[in-house]
Amino acid sequence: MTSPILRIEDVHKSYGALQVLKGVSLTVQPREVVVLVGPSGSGKSTLLRCINLLNPPTKGRIWLEDQEITAPGVNQDRVRQRIGMVFQEFNLFTHLTALGNVMIGLVKVRKMRKNEARDLAMFELERVGLADRAHYYPAQLSGGQKQRVAIARALGMDPHIMLFDEPTSALDPELTGEVLAVMQKLASEGMTMIVVSHEIGFARQVADRIVFMEGGVVVEEGTPQQMFEQPVHERTRAFLRNITR
Amino acid sequence: MRDAIDLLIKVMPELLQGTGVTLQIALVSLALGMIVGLPVGVGRVYGPVWLRHVLGAYITLFQGTPVLIQLFMVYYGLPDIGITLGRLQAAFLTLGLNSAAYQAEYLRSALLSVSEGQMVAARALGMSKWQAIWSIILPQAVRLALPAWSNEAVAMLKYTSVVFLIAVPDLMGQAKILASRYFAPIQIYLIVAVFYVVLVGITYLILTSIERRMRIPGLTGDAAS
Repeated sequence: MTSPILRIEDVHKSYGALQVLKGVSLTVQPREVVVLVGPSGSGKSTLLRCINLLNPPTKGRIWLEDQEITAPGVNQDRVRQRIGMVFQEFNLFTHLTALGNVMIGLVKVRKMRKNEARDLAMFELERVGLADRAHYYPAQLSGGQKQRVAIARALGMDPHIMLFDEPTSALDPELTGEVLAVMQKLASEGMTMIVVSHEIGFARQVADRIVFMEGGVVVEEGTPQQMFEQPVHERTRAFLRNITR
Repeated sequence: MRDAIDLLIKVMPELLQGTGVTLQIALVSLALGMIVGLPVGVGRVYGPVWLRHVLGAYITLFQGTPVLIQLFMVYYGLPDIGITLGRLQAAFLTLGLNSAAYQAEYLRSALLSVSEGQMVAARALGMSKWQAIWSIILPQAVRLALPAWSNEAVAMLKYTSVVFLIAVPDLMGQAKILASRYFAPIQIYLIVAVFYVVLVGITYLILTSIERRMRIPGLTGDAAS
């Protein structure tokens, strides 16, 4: 039994009177792929933003590897370096080329020398199949290409875990495949991943575990087979039936 | 016609000198305005609340009062509290601080129009807030502010003409002297107006070429032109 890479314990998050997370606990093992599903407003994205401390929890604790990252005095910028994040809206830096987008974190955060950073950035772009688009600006790329650059940008930081926040929801249907293929490849290379997604095919094939959230709590979790074929809770059953239809 | 050309030849050396002074004042004031305006604009958006209020008050003060009063306050008023400035220094300081207020406001609205996702993505990479502002937000905001900034540069060229009221020999100052020396105010001021138009035209050409060069490929505005 290896020690978990991520341990979330009774995490709450409120915005004023609005309680979004009401006590979520979740443990993720190294190399595991966890797919988070649930109706909109169930707190999936908020949970991801709690994990990388973009919106720190109001209550509860989170450990990344052996470090409690919710402890006071933790350098949050250092924590985020170890956690890659991919957004629904890509959020590529519009003033930088694809290569520049991948390089900037290497230069500014990892303090690499420019030519070293350029080599690594090219390598990451190759990994997502976009070496030939290195000098294109985001506005010149398709949605699928943008998202793959965003994945390369996150990979460049050498993250220990990757968070995907609905990575294909903003894409035209014919462009989701290329992004999912890159994610599948990452999973097969052993990357630990937490993915908020309603891509059922991806969840069935790639996920080790599916976690169903609703109303700010984890309702049920299990292997894709358990969750799709014999979910315990009626809510899970109803939700999954709806999205697989 | 003959007379007009004679007059032009006679006044040309002094008008060229005045042009030099005008350009100097405009350039120094714009540069000072940028050096002060950049941190003021950033502080207005990202600073702590008390700082935003202080900077807001500064901007209101300089945008809300005539530049001529500002100039008089600096040149005639500051000596009362023991700060005596030369004419040119007073011109630089007044127009520089005035321009900084405007430039800060242009930058502020540009900063606010950079999408929030840019900051979030930068922080997610492990950048600190100030790293993200410096390497991600500002480079985009500066591009967005550039058209407004060009207007500011053009306006500044003409604003400088107030300095003749504290006897700085700029283009306007020379015009005033020459107009009374040759008893030809209309002709002289017409010639000077042409000088200003030419200066503004050249400035405009330089700035639009900078705007074009800094444009991000593929973004809207590129397609429109």
